[in-house]
Parts: sequence; C-alpha cells; structure tokens
Amino acid sequence: MVIETEQIPFHEWILWASLNWLLVVAALAVTGLFLSSLIAVVRHGPARGLELTFRVVGSSFADLFCMSPRRVWALTWLAIKDSLRRRVVIVFVLFLILLLFAGWFLDPGSDHPLRLYISFVLTSTSYLVLLLMLFLSAFSLPADLKSKTLHTVVTKPVRPSEIVLGRMLGFILLGTFLLVLMGAMSYVFVARGLAHTHEVIPSSLKVVQPGDDAAKGDVPLKGKSTSVNNHRHDVALDRKGRGRLEMTQDHFHRVIRRKQGDKTVYEVGQPEGMRIARVPVYGKLRFMDSQRQEKEAGTNVGDEWSYRSYIEGGSLAAGVWSFEGVTPEQFPERLQVEMTLGVFRTWKGDIEQGIAGVLLLRNPKTGLTVEAKIFPAREFSTDVHQIARKLTPETVYYLKREEDSDGLVKKVKYVREEITGHRKSQYDLFDDLTDDGRLEIWLQCLDPNQYLGVAQADMYLRARDASFALNFMKGYFGIWMQMVLVVGFGVMFSTFLSGSVAMIATVGMLIGGFFRAFMIKLAMGETYGGGPVESFIRLLTQDNVVSDLPAGLRTTVAQTTDAVLQKGLLVVAKLLPPLREFDCAGYVAYGFNISADWIAEQGLTTLSFAVALFVVGYFFLKTREVAK
Amino acid sequence: MPDDVIIEARNLTKVYRDFWGRQKVRALKALDLEVRRGEIFGLLGPNGSGKTTTIKLILGLLFPTSGQVLCFGRDATDVTKNERIGYLPEESYLYKFLSAEETLDFYGRLFKMSRRVRRQRTADLIDQVGLTRAKKRQLREYSKGMTRRIGLAQALINDPELILLDEPTTGLDPLGTRDMKQMILDLREQGKTVVMCSHRLDDVQDVCDRIAILYEGELKELGRVDSLLKVHDVTEIHVRKLNEKAQQEIRQIIDREHGELVSMGNPTTTLERLFLDIIAESELHPGRRVRGAKDA
Ligand SMILES: Nc1ncnc2c1ncn2[C@@H]1O[C@H](COP(=O)(O)OP(=O)(O)OP(=O)(O)O)[C@@H](O)[C@H]1O
Ligand SMILES: [Mg+2]
Repeated sequence: MVIETEQIPFHEWILWASLNWLLVVAALAVTGLFLSSLIAVVRHGPARGLELTFRVVGSSFADLFCMSPRRVWALTWLAIKDSLRRRVVIVFVLFLILLLFAGWFLDPGSDHPLRLYISFVLTSTSYLVLLLMLFLSAFSLPADLKSKTLHTVVTKPVRPSEIVLGRMLGFILLGTFLLVLMGAMSYVFVARGLAHTHEVIPSSLKVVQPGDDAAKGDVPLKGKSTSVNNHRHDVALDRKGRGRLEMTQDHFHRVIRRKQGDKTVYEVGQPEGMRIARVPVYGKLRFMDSQRQEKEAGTNVGDEWSYRSYIEGGSLAAGVWSFEGVTPEQFPERLQVEMTLGVFRTWKGDIEQGIAGVLLLRNPKTGLTVEAKIFPAREFSTDVHQIARKLTPETVYYLKREEDSDGLVKKVKYVREEITGHRKSQYDLFDDLTDDGRLEIWLQCLDPNQYLGVAQADMYLRARDASFALNFMKGYFGIWMQMVLVVGFGVMFSTFLSGSVAMIATVGMLIGGFFRAFMIKLAMGETYGGGPVESFIRLLTQDNVVSDLPAGLRTTVAQTTDAVLQKGLLVVAKLLPPLREFDCAGYVAYGFNISADWIAEQGLTTLSFAVALFVVGYFFLKTREVAK
Repeated sequence: MPDDVIIEARNLTKVYRDFWGRQKVRALKALDLEVRRGEIFGLLGPNGSGKTTTIKLILGLLFPTSGQVLCFGRDATDVTKNERIGYLPEESYLYKFLSAEETLDFYGRLFKMSRRVRRQRTADLIDQVGLTRAKKRQLREYSKGMTRRIGLAQALINDPELILLDEPTTGLDPLGTRDMKQMILDLREQGKTVVMCSHRLDDVQDVCDRIAILYEGELKELGRVDSLLKVHDVTEIHVRKLNEKAQQEIRQIIDREHGELVSMGNPTTTLERLFLDIIAESELHPGRRVRGAKDA
C-alpha cells in the first residue's frame, strides 16, 4: 500500500490546526451574527431587531457555559430510550445475519484473506451504524416538535443548549455501544474465519543436504503440506523436528514433530504473521543532485503522476531520508528497511535484473557513512532489506574536517575510502551510525542512465510490531468519528429543518466531505486547466489543459470570476468534514499500525466539528418558536 | 412592578405568519393583563380566540410579534423562570414510551431536586391523581382521562408557584372534574397562582377569582367573577325578620318609584349568560366592552 498523505507530527499539526479552526469559527461567528441581525432587522425593524439579536447573543453565554450536567444527562437518557424504542436492535440482527452469510462470499483462500475480512467487517459496520445514526439523529427532534412533546420539555427550566447536547450525547453513546458490540463480534468473526491448520504430507518430506538419511531422523527436511483454504505451504523442518510451514497468503504456521508410540505426528499450529500491525517509522526526504548540492526535488522524468521524484543513476545524486527515533528499543534485532520504489528506464537494459540501487547509512552528526546494501530495485513490489546491527562494509565515507590551529572548522569535505587495516572494519548501527536516535539513509542509483523514483513515504523503517487487536480497535475508532460527525450534522440540521430535509442535508455534507480534498485543490487552483469558468472555456474551445489561454478580455473575465468562485468554494470546503481522512480501514486491513498522532489529530478534528455543530444547532433552536 | 404581580402582559400581540412572512392570523391584539399572586385567573373565549396563544406567549413557546410579557418579572425567553412554573398543555404532550413513573422521574430530573425528594414527589403525585395502579404502564396504553391526570401530575412535579392550565377538565369524567376543581382550590389555599383557560363555564365560575374574556384575540372583559356577574339594574333583597311596617315602607318606595318588586338584592346571572351576551354583542360592536364592572 502506498500512503500518499504523510502523517504530520501532532505538535506541528496542532498549532496550524487550531489557528485554522479559530479562523473558521471567527468567520462563521461574524457571518452568522451579520445574517441573523439582518433577518431580525427586516422582520422587526431596526431598533427591535438589533435589540433581539443583542439579547440572544447575551443569553447565549449563560446557555453555553452554565449547562447543568444533571439535565443534560436526563435528556441524554431520553434520547437513548427513544432510540431503543425505535428498534435499534434490528440493525444488530442485520449485522449478525450479514456475518452468518458472509462466509458465502468471503473467500478465505484468496491471496490476502485478512484484507478481505477486515475490509468487509469495517465497511459493513460503518454503513450500518452510519445509516442508523443518520435516521435517528435527523428525525428525532422534528418528531418531538411534531408530536409537541418538546413543548412540555422546554417549559421546564431547560436550556436549548442542553436539549441539543443531550440529543448528540445520547446518539453518540448509543452508537458507541453499538460499535463496541459490533467490533467485538467482528473480531471474533475475523479470527474464526481465518483459523485453519494443515497437515504435513509425510511422503513429501525430503532431505535437504544430499547424503543425509531421512530414515535416521534428526536431519533437516523439506516438503509440502496439505491444501486447506485453497493454499498449501512449503514445509521446512530442522534436525530436531521443529520448523515452519512457510509464508503463503501472508501467514505461516509453526510445526513440531512428535513421537506417539511408534507413530510420528506433526503438530501444526494456527496461522501466524497475518494479524499484524506494522509500525512504520517515516523519515523526511530531501534530495542531492549529482554535484552533491541540496535540491527541492529530484529529476522530473515527465511522469504525469507527480507523486515521485527521480534519482539519476550512475551519479552522486541521492534521495536522503532523515529518521528519528532509531533506538535499540524500537529496533531490537535489526533494522528492517521497507521500500516501494518507482523505476524509470531510459533504455531497456535487463528487465529481469532490476535496477541496482545502494543504501548508505549515515550518522548526521559525525558524517560517517557506511554502505549497507546493494540491491536490485523492482517496480510495484515492496522490497524488504534487513540490516544487521553489526556492519562490516567494504566502503566508508566520512567527513574530513580541516581545522585551524585554534580548532575552528575551516572546511568540511567528504572522503571516500576503501576499508584498510587501520580503520574499524566493523561498525555498530546504534553506536556509530545514529546520533541520539537520528539516522540518515541515502539512496543512490547505480545503473547509469536509469532512474529510481522516490517519494517520502516510499521508504520506512519497520519498528517492533504493535498489537493487532489494538489496531483493530483504532479502525473502529475511525468509524466512531464518522458516526459522531453524522450525529452532529443530523442533530444540527434537525433543529431547523424537517426530518427528511435534515437527512438529505446531512447526506449532502457527507458526500461533500468525501470530496473535500478535491474541492480544496480546485479552490487553490492546483488542478490543471484553471477554475470552473476557465475549464469550461477550454472544454468549448478544446484547448490543451496545460497551455495558457490567449491573453485578452475573455481570459481576464474568466479568471477573475474563477478567483471569486474559488474563494467561495474554499470557504465551503473548509466547512465540510474531512471524512476521507477518518477512513482507516485500509491501514488495519494492510497491517499498518495507526499512529497515536493520527488518533490525536483526527480525534481533535472530530471534537472541534462536534463543538461547532453543537453551537450552531443551539442557536437555531434558541431562535425558533418551539410551538410554531 | 409590585411584588405580587406574577404575570404582566403589555400590548401583547401575536400574528401568525407563514414561511414567506405573509400574515395568516392575528391571534392576539394588544393584550394588557396582570395576574396577581394567589389568585385563580380564568381565560375565557370561544374556540380560536387566542387563549392558548396567550399561554404559549407567557411560557416563551411563541415569541410576541410586538409587546412584551413578563413572568416573575422576567422575559418569557428566560428559562430560569420555569423553575417556578407548572404547565399543563391543551393535550398532554408526553412521551408515550415512558411509564407514569418514568415520566415524572424524567421531568423531575430537569429541576433542582434531590433524588429522594424526586422519588417522594413522584409517588405522592401518582397517588394524588389516582394512577397508582397504572404507574408501571406505558403512557401509550392510557385512556384520555388518564393521560390528562398524568399531565397534571407532571405540571406539579416541581411544586410550582404558578400553574398554567390549558383546559384542565377536558377528557375528565365528572368525578375527575370535581377532583380537578377541588385541587385547583387547594392550590389557592397553598398560596399558589393559577391561570387556566376553559370552555367549561361552570368550571370557571366555580373556581376562578378573576376572568378575562377574549374574542378573536381581543380582550372583551376583565374583572372579578362576582362583580362581573352582578346584574346592575336589578336589586335583590333577601331579608329575614323584617317587620311588617318596614316592609310596607319599602313597598311604598318601590311603588312611588314605579318599581316592580320581584325579590330584593343583587341577583347573579350565570357566567354562561354573560358569555353569550358578550359574544352576541361583540359581533355587533367590535372593541372592548364599555359597560361592565371594572375589576374590584
Ligand atoms: N401555529 C399556528 N399557525 C397559524 N395560526 C394559528 C396557529 N396556532 C393558532 N393559530 C390561530 O390563532 C388563533 C388563536 O388560536 P388559539 O389556539 O390561541 O385559540 P384558543 O382560544 O386556544 O382556541 P381553543 O379554545 O379551540 O383551544 C386561531 O385563529 C388559530 O387558527
Ligand atoms: Mg386552546
């Protein structure tokens, strides 16, 4: 899986995000205040209109900050009770049925069975829960208004804010409860669906080293297992009769040979290595050109997918990743580097061979650089390189400092040297090559006139695996956040729209939220062919999307209109929930750990949306006549 | 504002508008009204005369088109005033999926009340309105009268100072009606203020101290029930142990003045008579009635 959007560390994100949030909230507040006072003035005349606006704003502080937990909880309880009456249980039964029949169309014999199972449970849970929450939240307040039951409630000392918050909390609690239950059921379903063992076919076992005698026992053996779930494994046993059913369909089994009386049995365990949560440690990528000068990007080879930048082969050009947190605790045995590279050939070369690349490890402080690995890079596959803790390289590079007599550094230059007797011939990964957990990995392409394409997320170090169960829960947390947003929008819209309209509006926001990233791109003018009007002109004139339009009045008008439209679009897009970013089913399914930073960032985003929706909903309910 | 004025309406006007802001109904026209502490105030009027509208405006369920209504000296939109108010709507708008007990407990939780007090009041009120045997049943199974009773209990959960009752006796059997009237009188005994509206004129006559009669959103009559029902051009004298001579003299005076003695004293009419008179008269002369006793 290629993760295109990089994870911004939380401490960097929070500043930018809270600023952004404050800006949006301030803009919303000003527009809201302006529009509502305008409406009040039109309705009631200037003096009374302004007085009314003033009063509402004044009392809103008490309403928002002096809410009573006791009343909010009573209203929350009411919302839950009301939902349960609406046979929420049906969703549950539906889910059970879905799980029961899933066996028919989920093939445990596919190449990546876990991906299939995880995607299935996460998608079906999210659709069911979101749909249910959509209905509940959008129809609840309108139903209460229609049956006038709300009249009895608002004539008690209940603040409108408490009503809105009570609803939201009620539905969120209910949704949380549903998700926990469905999550637990899904986990069991996945675990059971993937459980299987094989048998070792004794007749297939052959000696590994010629000359060994299989009959004598205690020699390494190789063979095959029986086929279960559409796959069989290669079997490898050591001289003691322990071994593995080798990796197939993302998993392996452990096997032990035992003697039972005069019979030999092979005990095969449950699949392992399938339910994992890889912890990728990403670095920051920068480029060096062939003169060893730092550059913004590598070479552009004219690839229309501008995601990757290219490193020229046979030169000193390099992609440099700076990693942090490279410590023995995170990488107990070895350093595992995983890479997905792009390959660009200016000549065909040997297709089978792959393009040769080299990985250099460099201590960013001392400049000591050690050659770690030369490897053939293949496109469309993830290369995994194990780098042992002790390195015995043939070449080192180091920083040579020329110092003044008084110790000031005059000049620093790289020196490349073959290892000779007087240099250390063995280097320790952590002691020699990292500085306080910081490590640089340089990637160079060795084949002249060929290119390796890289992007920041293409290379990561794989730290100690995290818990899969926890990752699975984080996947459900993603759905939880979407659920919170659905409830927030549903309740907010239902404070002033009828049930079905509120539902449609919520769905609209969700769809908009899905295309939010695209809209922002469009609004920022990052798409080819200009804004909507310009694009339309290009469509009519069949102009190329990359060439400039001819200068003139038409173009000026088009581009000015576009600029205004784009500003508007940007405002709208900023108000939409970033739904795509909450979707983390892919991470869980492909076995990537969801980072704590991600949880914190998306969680805070959700919270800020929920708070904003609550406040907006409050104002709508406050300013409407309940008995109308 | 004097301390004993509980509700004060000034020039209160309500116009119902449709979605586009076009006028549909002028439901209330410049109502001026004061309700004082400790009295039972009746709002009377034919269907659609604006009684419910008035009550909703007092509670802040509707916003006035112009004018203002204060309740305990606070604006109708101020929810804190509701701590001291109980409201029984036209029909009991209660959650049908709750039982009587749950209903009272839920509304009780919306007030500052300890758990113990809440439990106690819930049990007392259920007993008071005679629903003890049905307290665990969901309200959806209740008859109209039972719903009315639980509605009343709900209105009293916070031991309010002011109780607004919108047609409290509809749907009640004669026994229930009698209980309801007795309870309203009991509330006055406890020093509570009650505002009720009703079509049942006998109810109003039995319990109300003062009434306002509305017709098409206009206030027609406002005053004490006893003085409103006094027939001013008739004198009624009931005397016991009056000697023959004095009686003779009285008859002479009546004769001299060309009077026709029926019996002596101020007879009272029924409220029904008054009500029908006002309506008949209003159709001829719109506007506030000129004649009629001012409030005592
Ligand atoms: N929500 C509303 N929208 C439009 N008009 C309304 C609305 N509610 C009431 N009205 C109108 O306002 C007027 C007064 O209604 P209101 O309910 O106050 O009468 P009422 O005196 O309580 O009558 P009843 O004795 O039948 O309960 C009526 O003409 C009614 O049609
Ligand atoms: Mg009414």
